[in-house]
Amino acid sequence: MLEVRGLTAGYTGGDVVHGISFKVETGEAVMIIGSNGAGKTTVFRAVVGLLAPSAGEVLFEGASIVGMPAHRIARLGISFVPAERRLFPRMTVQENLSLGAYPDSPDSETIELVMDLFPRLAERRRQRAGTMSGGEQQMLAVGRALMARPRLLVLDEPTTGLAPKLAKEAYQALDVLRGRGLTVLVAEQQVPMAMALSDRGYVLENGAISKQGTSAELANVPDVKRAYLGIV
Amino acid sequence: MTANILDGIVLGLQFGLLATGLTLVYGLGGVLNLAYGQMAVVSAMVVLFTMEAGVPTLGAVGLGLLAGGLFGLLLDLTVLPSIYRRQGEARVLLSLLVTLGLAFIVDGFFNWRFPLRGLSLRIGGGPIPIFGVPMRRGSLVASAITLAAMGGLLWFFRATITGRAIRSVMEDDEGARLVGIDPRRMLRLILIVTGVLAGLVAVTRSMVAPVTVRAGFEMTVSALIVTVVGGLGSVSGALVAGIILGIINIIAASYIGTFLSLIILLGAAAVTILIRPSGLLGVRE
Repeated sequence: MLEVRGLTAGYTGGDVVHGISFKVETGEAVMIIGSNGAGKTTVFRAVVGLLAPSAGEVLFEGASIVGMPAHRIARLGISFVPAERRLFPRMTVQENLSLGAYPDSPDSETIELVMDLFPRLAERRRQRAGTMSGGEQQMLAVGRALMARPRLLVLDEPTTGLAPKLAKEAYQALDVLRGRGLTVLVAEQQVPMAMALSDRGYVLENGAISKQGTSAELANVPDVKRAYLGIV
Repeated sequence: MTANILDGIVLGLQFGLLATGLTLVYGLGGVLNLAYGQMAVVSAMVVLFTMEAGVPTLGAVGLGLLAGGLFGLLLDLTVLPSIYRRQGEARVLLSLLVTLGLAFIVDGFFNWRFPLRGLSLRIGGGPIPIFGVPMRRGSLVASAITLAAMGGLLWFFRATITGRAIRSVMEDDEGARLVGIDPRRMLRLILIVTGVLAGLVAVTRSMVAPVTVRAGFEMTVSALIVTVVGGLGSVSGALVAGIILGIINIIAASYIGTFLSLIILLGAAAVTILIRPSGLLGVRE
């Protein structure tokens, strides 16, 4: 579904990721783990078109999407939930959700799916997004992304700033979505939860992929255990 | 006093509509359009010349509004791409310089070719009493049109998909792109809309007082002051501030003198900035 080859990207100060390659097959959940500053966000921003990579290829369902503006990539079926969420704070929950379906009108089936997944959003339909708690905002961000009925859901650290209980709830929702056949790509520092969700994973260190494998394989690599799972 | 307040509301509604055009473009693209008053003047001149060519008033007004929209589209196609490549403060400053230059060119051209021309639309019939004050029909028609335009704008922003998409770009440009909205296209649309709004202000204003070829800068300055008081990027702020400043302006003009009214408006803006830097209804960054 998604294939990244030799991606090099960064900001005016220099490249942050150097020639990395990874792929996500249809129906898979794939995680990219790494510490703060390893380049996870940069990779995602380059994939979804918010950042122009300096080299490399990004293929979505076989077609190149490198250099395409973000709004066109979004319409192709990749929904990105950034760590900062990027909601529309002065608009209501309902308005945020319906904009997720842009340029179409939201269809009731998808709204129902989102409300089933996050009952809190149904209670707060008329509340302004900016006045909600961090956990509710995260639910709304995921809900808004789902409104586009994406083929690939990309999440950058969905548990940022969430209390452990809410983080767990967020991953439970992702698990439900996986069960429905949604393809998921997630970047995380909270590795245990991401590992339970994912089929495979990549470890990103200093802008390069240092290890890869199935989640079970990665869980047994001593370095990964020590650095990300807190097991000595 | 009642008469002053009513006249102030008539002027204030127009201030509000004028400022709305400026504030929308700023909120959407971080571009301050100082050629805005000239957009209105171009519209007024198109109405004037087509009427002189024998086009019926309503048709001429239609052509004038079209000209305003076309001015906006041309601005977007020719001048804005270079401005839009900059970010943040550099973009605001460059937009100030470029649109001010454009304003000088348009203003200079009209002053050179048609130095004494002005548009006045006369609405027939005698005055109509409102709260015991006889109001000119022109003022009432102008206010009714302005109110209808504002209502239409508010409806567009609340109820239509495109209107919501425009608001979303104002709230979070990156979030909008992530749901599939092209901010550049929204800015183009809003420039066309504000061009039509400028034309509408020119037309309604000309029902109350002549709109001359020299009216451009005063319109831009009024719009700018109202925008600052209302809060940059806030449509409802522009409307509220417009009406308040309209009333202040008329009262100041009648008790102190017309020559001081712009200074008093500026004073009101200065006081607002001191008390509430983000304007009456502006968003605090």
